[in-house]
Amino acid sequence: MSISALLLLLAFLAAFGFLIGRQKIHLQYKQQSEKPRITTLPKYFGYVAGLVSLIPALLVLFVLHVAETPWINHQISEVIASEGLQTDLDLDLYLNDIKNANSEAEVAALSHDKQVIHGHYQRITKTAEWGKSAVVISLAVLLGLFALKRINTETRARLIFEKIIEWILLAAASIAIMTTVGIVLSVLFESMRFFGDVPVMDFMFGTEWSPQTAIRADQVGSSAAFGAVPLFVGTMLISVIALMVSVPLGLMSAIYLSEYASRSVRAVAKPVLEILAGIPTVVYGFFAALTVAPFIRDLGEGLGLSVASESALAAGLVMGIMIIPFVSSLADDVMSAVPQALREGSLGLGATRSETIVKVLIPAALPGIVGGVLLAASRAIGETMIVVMAAGLAANLTVNPLEAVTTVTVQIVTLLTGDQEFDSAKTLAAFALGLMLFVTTLVLNMVALYVVRKYREQYE
Amino acid sequence: MNMIADTMTANMDNKPEPQVNLDIEYTETVGAYTCDDAKISTRDVNVFYDTNQAIHDVSLDVGRNEVIALIGPSGCGKSTFLRCLNRMNDTIDICRVQGKILLDGENIYSKKQDPVLLRARVGMVFQKPNPFPKSIYDNVAYGPRIHGLTKNKAELDDLVEDALVKAGLFDEVKDRLHGPGTGLSGGQQQRLCIARTIAVQPEVILMDEPASALDPIATAKIEELINELRKNYTIVIVTHSMQQAARVSQRTAYFHMGRLIEVGDTNKIFTNPKHELTEKYITGRFG
Repeated sequence: MSISALLLLLAFLAAFGFLIGRQKIHLQYKQQSEKPRITTLPKYFGYVAGLVSLIPALLVLFVLHVAETPWINHQISEVIASEGLQTDLDLDLYLNDIKNANSEAEVAALSHDKQVIHGHYQRITKTAEWGKSAVVISLAVLLGLFALKRINTETRARLIFEKIIEWILLAAASIAIMTTVGIVLSVLFESMRFFGDVPVMDFMFGTEWSPQTAIRADQVGSSAAFGAVPLFVGTMLISVIALMVSVPLGLMSAIYLSEYASRSVRAVAKPVLEILAGIPTVVYGFFAALTVAPFIRDLGEGLGLSVASESALAAGLVMGIMIIPFVSSLADDVMSAVPQALREGSLGLGATRSETIVKVLIPAALPGIVGGVLLAASRAIGETMIVVMAAGLAANLTVNPLEAVTTVTVQIVTLLTGDQEFDSAKTLAAFALGLMLFVTTLVLNMVALYVVRKYREQYE
Repeated sequence: MNMIADTMTANMDNKPEPQVNLDIEYTETVGAYTCDDAKISTRDVNVFYDTNQAIHDVSLDVGRNEVIALIGPSGCGKSTFLRCLNRMNDTIDICRVQGKILLDGENIYSKKQDPVLLRARVGMVFQKPNPFPKSIYDNVAYGPRIHGLTKNKAELDDLVEDALVKAGLFDEVKDRLHGPGTGLSGGQQQRLCIARTIAVQPEVILMDEPASALDPIATAKIEELINELRKNYTIVIVTHSMQQAARVSQRTAYFHMGRLIEVGDTNKIFTNPKHELTEKYITGRFG
């Protein structure tokens, strides 16, 4: 029985349990001579019966499903051993051949040995599938019957239902947390492998980045250099330019929208501004590369400056435009949320609107504003496409915004695109960069939280 | 904003009960609405929220160094009227004010009038205490700093202390002037707001139900303070409590459905109201 059919059947069983449970309590209530004025609704008993049969069955199904493939592999290798067949090849590859043969023509194309194993394989998978289905269904039926038998009007069904909901919500929350932990751990372990090849100090403080390793020992440039400093300097340079564009523009547009704009202007302007965030970054990328970068180069030449055709400035400017909505939208929301009473209090003392904004509103809304800036900053640090297209790939160690630079994310992309082995220092460097990036944004977050907590002016 | 919206809906819903359904459309104000020495005088003031008329032809004088209480049922327009006196209604897009409002004989709605300067002359205390999320000192120093009233730190310190003393708050907060203003109790917060208003040295103080969110003891302190402040300021107070109006004010104006029904000396209004609506309100038959 396929997974989808099994799930459908389980849902059907749960629905059945719900209906029976509800009906049972409904009838019991009817038989009561002295009915209390307020009773637990019969549907809660139904929910309990349905969920008690459904949830453990789903969990067991998940576990069995995960365990299925290793079990089948184990069974097959035993069969191979007992048949006395030769498997000098990798077992995984050998099994793949067998597993991938689905049609008869493909089976016929296999060698004789493999055809024998294929027969066994089909038998084993059938066993596994039916075993799984039988276990799960009988579990659902048994638990459902048990629950249906146990519930009566004295059962505190509402409380049990609340508890079940609580656990479901907890499970949902933990999925996000577990995923984060999983990502961090996998990046961490791959980075450890990288730091086995390249010393941590060389990576963190080295000023030269050229990850290409020669294939043959006698090639030119055979030794790679993994100094991450140019990448981080490039990232910071572009992010700072982007923030210098987006923070003032975003804040000012937020102030205009929340304090000055009439309701009709706001209704149009705010969604339009938010569209900026919806434009695909690759579109910003060619805007930066084809329009802004040449413009900056021409402008620079007019002023007698030498400007690279791919410059940090072009990428930073366009990125700044892109992240304006992150600042403006959040800042606008928090400023609109400042109580009207504070505004009137300040205006009532004879302050002008701009004095009110600077002295009362912005301090009161500071946590939200910092939050928006932070979001914009992490967006800028993580942005890749614009930089690839407008700032180049050259890992120059410079703080001159008119030169080409590269960023951490761009290098991660170039390290991992194409056919790559996954155990060379070059590819593993991507994980180390990812880890550094993660730590950087984490530190940034913590600093921002500290700032917010320290300078927060609490209202209410 | 919300308060205004409430006022509007209340205005439409709060029809008087059948037995008091007088035709107030053409009611003239009963009693002497003029004063000999008027600080503020309003003539034929009409206020509209979009198309809803909240105030109808209100003419009322406020005497110098007098406390005048505006009373009336919820939604009768007394808060709206109060907010016209320092042009606080300007901050509401849909609000239009017609008629003349004179402060010391000058029309505050004329084109030459700067509403920001006006609000420095006509201070306002709100229903809910609304201290800024700053220290007690900074709350009081807010106005003086904006208007550049002091030359140096020492003068500002004196001004802040003076305002806090006048608001009867100094002894309670002198050890924590740099603690947050929002950390005070409700009554202390309201006195802080009064101190903040006094610090700008206004000529008139408008109070919009200043004690309605406070407990009886804090209310008594505020009322005591109002009696004290009368010596130096002209005060217009909106209140729901008739006892409060009787205790703090010299004149009382009764509003009903956007109209000024009756105005007169407080003790006369409360002992011998002339208009039927006033009498019904004061004797607690509606409102």
